[in-house]
Amino acid sequence: MSRAISHCILPTYVQSVYNTIMFRYVFSIFLSFSIILVLAFYSDAIHRINDTAQEIKVVEVAIFKGAFGIEWHQQMAEQFNRENKHRNIKIELWGDPKLANILKPRLLRGNPPDLILDERLPLWLLIAADKLLPLNAPLAEPALGFEQQKWADRYSPGMLNMFKSNGNVYAVPAAFGAWTCWYNASLYKAKGWEIPKTWDEYIDLCEKIKQSGMVPIALQGKNSYFYAWSTYITLVQRIGGVEAINRINALEPNSFSHPDALKAAQVFQNLVANYYQPGALAMTHTEAQLQFIQGNTAMIFCGVWLENEMRETIPADFELRSFDIPGSPEWKGNDKMVHGQGMEFLFVPKAAKHPGIAFEFARYLVSPQHAPGMSRSIGAISPLREVNSPENFSPAIASVVDIVNDSSGAFNVRPYMLFPAWKSQVMDAAIQDLCRGTLTPEEFARTLDDGIAHEVATAERAIPDAVLLNPSDYGELHAH
Amino acid sequence: MHINRELKRLRWFLIAPALILFTCFTALPGVRALIYSFQKWDGFTEPEWVGLQNFQALLADDLFILALKNNVILMVAGGAITLCLALLFASTIHRGMRGAGVFRVAFFFPNILAAVAIAILWQQMYSTTDFGIINAIWMQIQQALPSVFLKKGEIPSPFPFTDSSHLIWSIVPMLIWTATGFYMVLFLAAMQSIPEEYYEAATIDGASPRQQFWHITFPLIREVFIVGIVFFIISSAKFFDAVWVMEAELPNKNSHVMTTVLYQKVFHEYNVGYAAAIAVVLFVLVFIATLITLNFSRKDTLEY
Repeated sequence: MSRAISHCILPTYVQSVYNTIMFRYVFSIFLSFSIILVLAFYSDAIHRINDTAQEIKVVEVAIFKGAFGIEWHQQMAEQFNRENKHRNIKIELWGDPKLANILKPRLLRGNPPDLILDERLPLWLLIAADKLLPLNAPLAEPALGFEQQKWADRYSPGMLNMFKSNGNVYAVPAAFGAWTCWYNASLYKAKGWEIPKTWDEYIDLCEKIKQSGMVPIALQGKNSYFYAWSTYITLVQRIGGVEAINRINALEPNSFSHPDALKAAQVFQNLVANYYQPGALAMTHTEAQLQFIQGNTAMIFCGVWLENEMRETIPADFELRSFDIPGSPEWKGNDKMVHGQGMEFLFVPKAAKHPGIAFEFARYLVSPQHAPGMSRSIGAISPLREVNSPENFSPAIASVVDIVNDSSGAFNVRPYMLFPAWKSQVMDAAIQDLCRGTLTPEEFARTLDDGIAHEVATAERAIPDAVLLNPSDYGELHAH
Repeated sequence: MHINRELKRLRWFLIAPALILFTCFTALPGVRALIYSFQKWDGFTEPEWVGLQNFQALLADDLFILALKNNVILMVAGGAITLCLALLFASTIHRGMRGAGVFRVAFFFPNILAAVAIAILWQQMYSTTDFGIINAIWMQIQQALPSVFLKKGEIPSPFPFTDSSHLIWSIVPMLIWTATGFYMVLFLAAMQSIPEEYYEAATIDGASPRQQFWHITFPLIREVFIVGIVFFIISSAKFFDAVWVMEAELPNKNSHVMTTVLYQKVFHEYNVGYAAAIAVVLFVLVFIATLITLNFSRKDTLEY
């Protein structure tokens, strides 16, 4: 047949080329692929025509595939589809570890998914560019499984502040992340080590561990911008109280050079120099976490995803537990406060095709009704109030839930969310230099402050106001 | 006449697919990048024309200068050692070394591996955990010679080769290991095209192997050697993968190279115009370096 085609449509010189065996072979393959492509397009078109004929609203949901995976989200999507079959609604949910990179061109083209879960995208930039829809309307709806209250009111205090601007909430967290210190309870029992209640006891514990021949703490050095930074920020609150955190969040000049924040940098640098694993700055987060799991170090600072991320490597006799980073009676901060925040943020792009259903599915996903299932399935702590019962979690995450339930509140800082260039050019290198001792605490603080001052001075868009914490609400006194 | 016209059409017919692909995926994006370099654009809102502002900012940017310096380190340190070793190995194999075939395959082997796989392999070898073979050897050396390598009371500890502050120098051995085989094969092919009579005559005249190399081999493969330098300049300027992998996708001021700064500007800082300006400068630098190098090769070309 291909010979007949060639005689009909091709000029003489092309026919002679065609008649060579190689060209015929290549042409046949090309023709076969073309036919397959046409058929594929045709079947897709038929599929779309069928969907249109039945007026099925296909709602695309894209989920960051990280330590929590996407299996539970997919189960929720299937359940939602079953429950709403009569409404001809279909959630199509997919996930990817590189979701942000995949979605950037789609956001740019104005063809984004209807609902996105990934705060690795520049949410503040998208908010400023008017690319996101406010979630105020669904937040005013009743919470699923607790209809007496609005969805917003079921969120734990402060959970909706991270992406709030001019009274509008543009992204809501699907999980809560707490920054704690992890240890192996069976090892501690065997060695007779006690969980420290104060910073002095913590340092004593590090000394005991060191004397036993073990390295006290592992550090995810390659990701210092997050892992070392989070421990440093916890110490800022412990030493300076929420006022120190407020200064940073309000972008006050010299907030990192304030004596309290400076002292936190000194304490942290001493901790790294004396008790962190040698060579830690060259370790990726999984390498360092594996060092801890393998018993080469006795502790590691990490978020709640540690157990899920390292699940395959945790030995049966390893009792993974967590304690909060202690404070000191001499310090200003309330050590019952958790360094934590909402995470796994959900948001709806303005260009979403079905924003109403996207809102509805977000409310379905983060609901009092489904929170226990989420906890049991992926070990994620819900950002909602009164839904995190320790019995729904593994013993490891239950130990964090105990800390959260026992806490006076949560705090976090925001400059790295506001200023991506500060994070990547200033903060990451500065915290690494502090850890390796090539910057003094004073130089470190000055570097951070100068970087913030530069960002504030050159900001082209209005910087949203910070939601500040009142120290007296947390049993802390105002500094004089 | 008719045949000539048909041949002309045939030429266009054969060249058309490559031309279309080149225009769509290289030329047009290149022109677009040039336009972006004169704009301020975050990738989400409307671009704004800013003239040469991005280029002015680039020249005053310490980060870009540091990245450029790191590229030069890779180019000079990596390039010098790679090309010298490749020349040495090619010459040795060319002069009939026993087991030459095995060595040729062994040296060329890294070229068939993906760049990311090579980076992960070296990351594991450099690892400061028990997994890292290089640090295991280093620890053994410290234990064997404590008076030389350890201060009083100090215990052997791994060296953080992939720590940001040492990363560029740690990449140089990886670069040499990866690239030497390719350049060796390039030079060997050139050496094998040199007529054997030249060496026979030189041997009769009493020339030593070293004299034969400097007076016959090297002058006759000089042009290929220059091509090797051009290849190395281009590949070092575009170097990306190993830094990206070993820095867990977030290099900092100690470890950036030009392409990682470019990536960071677009995908972490959303400064597309500035990143396009980097791409333009990168193109110009490579273009100038290539022109200079090729200009050298045109002088005193030997024909045989």
